[in-house]
Amino acid sequence: MDALQQLPGIGPRSARRLTYHLLLHDRGGARELAEALQHAVERVGRCEGCRNLSEEALCNLCTSTRRDDSQLCIVESAADVEALESATGYSGRYFVLNGHLSPLDGIGPNELGIELLLQRFRQGSVSEVILATNPTVEGDATADYISGLAVECGLSATRIAHGVPVGGELEYIDSGTLRQAFAGRRSFS
Amino acid sequence: MTTQLQPGVVIHTRAYGDTSLLVELFTREQGRLGAIARGARAARSRMRPLLQPFQPLLLSWRGRGELKTVTEIEATGAPWGLRGDALLSGYYLNELIMRLLPREDPAAAVYGHYVSAIKQLENGTPIEPVMRVFEKRLLDELGVGLVLDRDTTGSPLQSGQLYRYQPESGPGLSQEHGLKISGEALMALQAESLESPEILAEAKGLMRWVLRQHLGERPLRSRAIWRDLKRSAGP
Repeated sequence: MDALQQLPGIGPRSARRLTYHLLLHDRGGARELAEALQHAVERVGRCEGCRNLSEEALCNLCTSTRRDDSQLCIVESAADVEALESATGYSGRYFVLNGHLSPLDGIGPNELGIELLLQRFRQGSVSEVILATNPTVEGDATADYISGLAVECGLSATRIAHGVPVGGELEYIDSGTLRQAFAGRRSFS
Repeated sequence: MTTQLQPGVVIHTRAYGDTSLLVELFTREQGRLGAIARGARAARSRMRPLLQPFQPLLLSWRGRGELKTVTEIEATGAPWGLRGDALLSGYYLNELIMRLLPREDPAAAVYGHYVSAIKQLENGTPIEPVMRVFEKRLLDELGVGLVLDRDTTGSPLQSGQLYRYQPESGPGLSQEHGLKISGEALMALQAESLESPEILAEAKGLMRWVLRQHLGERPLRSRAIWRDLKRSAGP
């Protein structure tokens, strides 16, 4: 029960319920879960190309021959890769920072794998760097910094647009989002 | 106990639980406060976009203990648009506040100095003088201000003289120990008018040395990150 409580969103009650379920009703499932966890913990590491989670030295997205080497999308987390993969038709490569610049937490370029990213920039295949970090002060600072590095390497850098959510109503949108959406308006024709 | 809509800013945030944030606030009337913003990280939280550094706010909170609960939050204007070095400097100011200002110690003057420094950074004022003046004023308000108007014998400072500065006694001509600093630099810092690169370099050396006495062993993280960023960006 204590072990389950380490998981986000699992308190003592849920932990007890899950434990009883696994031990009383689904021992097979429990074994499967234990083995899967064991396997994952032992085998899954960071991809050497993009720092995403991967069982191999290079992840599927890095080894795929169908993807476009000229675009490199920078995200803060592995979950962001999943979100972009399922929502967009993006077919370029990714780079996962596993965080964002956060000077007060001591998170800087070394923690974000910037050295590896610079290697990717210098390899010569990338031409567009897509900055898909979160629209927070830290995410923007990270994007700002990486775009500077990209430009130094002669690459173009683009930032994902921030704006009004689909199906949203202007009246209820926070002023920051609305300001950005208004400032980032595009010609419409 | 509820405090209603006080001017303040967020200095730092940390994830707490699944959907909440621990926030370090700097308020004009009550100084630095630790608070929890429940549900602020939930998908549709109204607080999330506002609970970020460099955004002027009006805040309400309740609670008597060490950790308050944020109950209401409103923006009083657009976020201060800091970028690049100005943004890093903003983080440096935030870290100084976190490290040097005790919690729940009213510091309206420091708040004023902070907002004015951030606005100067936003307007593209050269960074170094803004930092030095803020550091000097912060130490003054904390009651550990520098002695910049007289030497250890009580005589006025003179340009053209090289002083030795000691935290306890200030600048002296006959002291054997302490940081070497020119009369010009001390007077320029006193007048808050720092212009030439030499004076700025001296003032920075002095401030760094004095701040280290107050910060203790643990170095400032934002300064280390700044160094790393400059190194990566280099050739």
